[in-house]
Amino acid sequence: MSSKIRWSGAGLGFLGVALVLVVHWMVFFWVPTERTMGIVQRIFYIHVPSAWVAFMAFGIVAICSAVYLWLKDERLDMAAVAAAEGGMLFTAIVLLTGPLWGKVAWGTWWQWEPRLTLTLLLFFIYLGYFLVRSSTENPEKGKRFAAVVGIVGALDIPLIHVSVQFFRSLHPEPVVINPEGPSLPGDMLTTLFTGLAAFTVLFFAFFLFRYSLEHMKRAMVHRELAGEGSPLQGGVAS
Amino acid sequence: MNKRILLALTVAILLAFLPELVQAQEGLPNPDALANQNLRGYTHMFIAYFIAWSLILGWVISIARRLGRIEKTLTQ
Repeated sequence: MSSKIRWSGAGLGFLGVALVLVVHWMVFFWVPTERTMGIVQRIFYIHVPSAWVAFMAFGIVAICSAVYLWLKDERLDMAAVAAAEGGMLFTAIVLLTGPLWGKVAWGTWWQWEPRLTLTLLLFFIYLGYFLVRSSTENPEKGKRFAAVVGIVGALDIPLIHVSVQFFRSLHPEPVVINPEGPSLPGDMLTTLFTGLAAFTVLFFAFFLFRYSLEHMKRAMVHRELAGEGSPLQGGVAS
Repeated sequence: MNKRILLALTVAILLAFLPELVQAQEGLPNPDALANQNLRGYTHMFIAYFIAWSLILGWVISIARRLGRIEKTLTQ
């Protein structure tokens, strides 16, 4: 099963890398430079796809965690862990690329404004997800607590999206998902959507590998536990 | 003689209006500052792409190493 998952991951990985190469060609050689912000606006094509993938990953964590609490299926917990790790990585990319763009566009690295603060909070919530999991003595309890954190953490995602509409914010309002439709020029929108597709495919490729790793890790723990049990049984028998 | 008077008058007029000329230049953007701003944009963009791909590559390497370690342990 694990090798099948990894082969699927490798296939998706190759597709993702091909799409990433296309995106980079589009970003650096095809799409026009934005008039007011200049060249630095091209950070947009990795910043937004990273945010999209992070939100999708945490959505997967929330759904898998909710169903895990209901069905107690170990595979759902493994999927949640794999998605949470990917989500944290892409949130870190969002939090690092944003200030680099903001320093040139706004003249400041960081502002404690709603969208930025809630995104930082999201990162810390999922850091807590791993801390809760590893800090409980009973692993089953740890999984359940982490599942609750995973569900609660996902409530932050819609807040991040609407924060720029309801609060005064330096961060621009959504340019794609807004009631009036996308406000970006066609070529910028095409580059953005190719970036979104590339990052999504890459995420699922890495997600499958990470899931496979979690599967093998737990198989090893079970084998170790069975190994620990057998000499004792042997001793009792003799 | 007339030439000398003319020259003196020109210099006097120039000196009189020099502060205004300097002030008029102050309103224009400094070309060096504009060049720096443009270069800063390029630097920030390349750093952003470098950070993003370094982190992703780091994660891939980390997964591969952990998988390798577990496979080794399982085969032993």
